[in-house]
Amino acid sequence: MKKGYIAERLLYTLIIAWGVMTATFVILRIGPGSPADRYIANLGAGHNVTQVTAAIETRYGLDKPLYEQYFEYMGSLLRGDWGWSFSTSMPVIELIKTHWVYSFQLILLSSIFAIVLGILIGIYSAVRKGTKADYIATFFSFIGISTPNFWLGIMLILIFSVRLGWFQTYYDTGLSTFSLANLKALVLPVVTLGTGMVAGYSRYVRSSMLENLRRDFVRTARAKGLPEHVVIVKHVFRNALLPVVTIFMWDMSAIVFGGAYLTEVIFGIPGLGRISFNAIFADDYAVVVAVTLIGAFVTLLFNLVTDIAYTQLDPRIKYD
Amino acid sequence: MIIEKHHREKIKKNKPAVLGLLFIILLFVTAILGPFLTRDPNEINFNDKNLPPVGFSIEQSMYNIKTQELEVTERKGSWEHPLGTDDRGRDMLAMLVSGARVSLEVGFLATGIAILIGTFIGVVSAYFGGWLDNALMRFTDVIMTFPFFLLLVLIVYMYGPNMVFVILAIGLTGWTGAARLVRSEVLSLRTLDFVTASKALGASDPHIILRHLVPNTMSSIIVIATLSIPGVILAEAALSFIGLGDPALVSWGKVLNAGQDSLVTTWWVAVEPGMILFLTVLAFNFLGDGLRDALDPKSE
Repeated sequence: MKKGYIAERLLYTLIIAWGVMTATFVILRIGPGSPADRYIANLGAGHNVTQVTAAIETRYGLDKPLYEQYFEYMGSLLRGDWGWSFSTSMPVIELIKTHWVYSFQLILLSSIFAIVLGILIGIYSAVRKGTKADYIATFFSFIGISTPNFWLGIMLILIFSVRLGWFQTYYDTGLSTFSLANLKALVLPVVTLGTGMVAGYSRYVRSSMLENLRRDFVRTARAKGLPEHVVIVKHVFRNALLPVVTIFMWDMSAIVFGGAYLTEVIFGIPGLGRISFNAIFADDYAVVVAVTLIGAFVTLLFNLVTDIAYTQLDPRIKYD
Repeated sequence: MIIEKHHREKIKKNKPAVLGLLFIILLFVTAILGPFLTRDPNEINFNDKNLPPVGFSIEQSMYNIKTQELEVTERKGSWEHPLGTDDRGRDMLAMLVSGARVSLEVGFLATGIAILIGTFIGVVSAYFGGWLDNALMRFTDVIMTFPFFLLLVLIVYMYGPNMVFVILAIGLTGWTGAARLVRSEVLSLRTLDFVTASKALGASDPHIILRHLVPNTMSSIIVIATLSIPGVILAEAALSFIGLGDPALVSWGKVLNAGQDSLVTTWWVAVEPGMILFLTVLAFNFLGDGLRDALDPKSE
């Protein structure tokens, strides 16, 4: 029963989302120093500390019992009141509204790059299994998987930006998101974030293709005289795609979010990773918490979509 | 016992795996003995700052107050600092050796904890089955979906960076893959004749688990452990890179971050730690892949 399965996954996701919010509350309240201390530490001299502390404690209800604070915390999260970012002097939710699009753009372009290239390389090395080209692809996929993407990014900057001067890497928020200058500034970041994924996908596509190449229906298709490219694309590739879709979705949560964070930091792309990184150094804790929560929620959402997509894509799978 | 002669023969034929193993051994020896042979990685010496590695030279322009002219001098790397120095004159070699220790410690300890927990949960789940299996697997599902790494960043940020904490956090949450793998192996093992025979002879549950089931899943455990270590090493390097590493330790990620700021002049400060990190991860991946090919008859 598919509906029951989806409902179960949905329930799981909601429970874990609640768990994540509760965990952040516990981390924040048990952590050393009250939130008020962190605000004050960044206020600088010339403020009446006791007065400010009292004001903040009333404003955020820190003087109330813990369980009341907990309900208020959860309530304000749900209402979209995610606190105040003092390093940028605006509500955290506004900061996120302006910056999420840059992260989204980077992840979107990198994913397209990785999927297209990964699939092409994967098909090619499966069809040419055991040839030199296949070995070269295998070798480079090992290199790609093993290269720390933050180091790759720095090396790309060193070679293509500092030495050769081919790409400037300044992302200009004044220009439109998809302006030519900004797209050009995204070339190196996309390669940085995409390389590991290309390496991974090409391996999955290859092994998944090889598995399907051995199947009876492929022999039948060839026996009835279909041209080889039709066999490869229609019979083998279509069937090889399913595990790749799953891996891609899993990746979105695991590699992409960590990788996107670091890529933004290195290239100064003003996405959520970058603002969180800046916030860590400015000790602007509300922003750090907010980006953590958003990352967690998006991860959960992707896992949910993966589970549901899986039931829709493969008619053989039935959940009771 | 686990890696038998024919396995060894097969691994020996796999050149990348052999190279990987040699590199890892070398890294281990360096991490253990290196700190006694190199300089103090924290020793600051401004006279020797920005020295390139041996075989390289950079042009450095300095303003001479007496002649009021910009003087261009050439600086060459020397064997005193074979891998060069950073902007405070700290020895790169010494810093990389110190970083090797940090990376290996985190990689092995965190993976060790994860494998122990994963094996325990996997075996218990499969062996006893029933409601216990159901509950443990649900629990594994939840842990798997829970975005721990993001919370880890938050915790490290709030409580201050601390290596023990990072090791525990990664170890206590990274066991889910091992648990599922061990469970699936034990599920097929426990129906085999030798287990039934052992039971018939009156062997206790702990005896069957420790003497029969765990040793027979060892090869899979070794493979998954070898392939998990690079991920852990990368995670630690990433944390150090964004400034959440243990401030008392010199790690590769931290050096790399410092090198990023002076890319135009002292490129080696960023190139070297990243290169060694890359080689380490590559070595573990090669070895893990070779072990899987050798130990798992099903893999291709």
